[in-house]
Amino acid sequence: MKAREFWLLFFPSLLIMGALLVLPLVRTVRWSFEQVRYGTPGTFVGLANFTDALTDPRFHRAVVFTVVVTVITTAILLVVGYIIATGINRITTSRPLVLGIMLVSYVLPNLVGAVAFSWLFDDNFGGVVNRLIGFFGGTQVLWFTDQVPNAILVIANTVWHMLPFAMLIILAGLQGVPNELKEAAKIDGANAFQTHISVIIPTIRGVLGFVTLITIMDVLRMFDNLIPLSPQAQNIGNESIMLYVYSVAFADGAENLGLGSAINVLTIILILVMLIPFIRGIFKEAKAER
Amino acid sequence: MSLTSAELSTRAIVTGGSPKRRRRSSRRPPVITGLLLGILCIVVLSPFIWMTLSVTKPTDVAFANPPVLWDYQPTLDAFVNLWETTYFADYLVNTLVVAVVSTVIALVIGIPAAYALSRFPSYVSALLLVLALIFRALPRFSVVLPMYDISRALGIYDTTFALAIALVAINQPFTIWLLRNFFAEIPKELDEAAMIDGCTRIGMLRRVMIPLMGPGILTAGIFVFLFAFQEYLTALVLTDTSSKTVPVFIATQLGQTLPMLQQAGAASMLLTIPVFVIAFIAQKYLVAGLSDGAVKG
Repeated sequence: MKAREFWLLFFPSLLIMGALLVLPLVRTVRWSFEQVRYGTPGTFVGLANFTDALTDPRFHRAVVFTVVVTVITTAILLVVGYIIATGINRITTSRPLVLGIMLVSYVLPNLVGAVAFSWLFDDNFGGVVNRLIGFFGGTQVLWFTDQVPNAILVIANTVWHMLPFAMLIILAGLQGVPNELKEAAKIDGANAFQTHISVIIPTIRGVLGFVTLITIMDVLRMFDNLIPLSPQAQNIGNESIMLYVYSVAFADGAENLGLGSAINVLTIILILVMLIPFIRGIFKEAKAER
Repeated sequence: MSLTSAELSTRAIVTGGSPKRRRRSSRRPPVITGLLLGILCIVVLSPFIWMTLSVTKPTDVAFANPPVLWDYQPTLDAFVNLWETTYFADYLVNTLVVAVVSTVIALVIGIPAAYALSRFPSYVSALLLVLALIFRALPRFSVVLPMYDISRALGIYDTTFALAIALVAINQPFTIWLLRNFFAEIPKELDEAAMIDGCTRIGMLRRVMIPLMGPGILTAGIFVFLFAFQEYLTALVLTDTSSKTVPVFIATQLGQTLPMLQQAGAASMLLTIPVFVIAFIAQKYLVAGLSDGAVKG
């Protein structure tokens, strides 16, 4: 393909992305060094916004909460996603039905899913989950006003929302494992558990890495689901980083854009650092292909 | 000839592999596995089952504790209420307009771009993949807050067009990446054959590539539509009253009085039903987008 043709075909898309992704991003970076309100030019304040963010205990709490939820959710998703994918890999006739039901929680608006999820736990709606806990002899749990139970609720919802994705990708990986490999393991006397641990999981390493990457990126940005699940997020210390940005830079007339942008920039740096190993892997593969 | 190999492997995921493999593994039906998966499906659906019950109860019963499970007269009052006392119809129209417009624009600009990238050497696609990953991972506010500022300055704040075009941009890296993987499956020799027969590059794209890419375009279209249909954060920042979408409406109904909560539930149900339908009808394409679009680089 000639260069001229390439640019002709690529240009409209490039224009949209340049104008609506790159330019705003540049502005965010500039804002992070400024004292600024919407609609007015800002004044340069150096690193003041960054020092403000890094010394704010509320920001620390948000980072700790976000990271803890991300790590726990990712670990659960990998283990449970793998087990369920293995199960689904065994069934044949009912598979489309099961996949269809499993997909529902993923394709649904995150916010709507979280509303439905919260009603199961809400005592105003009959408190089904607390009733079940009571039935098995447990005590009432304050799902919305107690920090740890609320964090568990958020993790449960995130797992519920992301599980279909993790399960499907792992399922795709499992289908790529050659049968000969499993049979060889059997002949060598490995039991089912050993086959999984030392044959199948190492084979689909790349797929598991991809699931980990996407899960981490998506959970670090959580925002939508906290609106119904954690209405008192700030008071009980269960604010996510994005919720914190929202409340300083946009909600209810808040206009501390400089601080909000500084936190965005810090988050971007964190994400880029995490992406580095994956980016190197991608380039290595591309080189090998050439 | 309309099947790409990407689609074939997807079919294997949905139906369980080639017939040969199936025969080998069907020594005994996996009863316990099936039973466990059945329970799992019920657990996965439980929030909706409960929401459906809560929305179809009379208001005083819906909020009773202990919950009333079956001894009540089902009613659709919450839906009627939603329709009559709020601007739900407007919000629904806004949501659909945004989703349709952004899907059409995303495909019109994304298809040529993805095709161009698929015909370039692999390091260009590697670079694209990296950019798609980075832009997918960006904190949404880092682009949406400046968009808010810019849209106010341009006077297009709170219009469905501004929201639709914002979503096109936000989802464009993913769209291109997904489409490129489908294009990469089509052999380059086909391009050359068509060009020898006298097609221009764009004529060839229109006459040869797009018909061949049917499943791929459908997959990308479904994803972009769903992304736009469910978007909350961007709509929250870029809309106010006249172009409000259903997810934003639902969020504002939370924390209000009990009948309004039930309305939020009714609105959620109405937003959910089309998605349920898509999840079943278009399952093959969803699986294709998730697995083939994601796993391959």
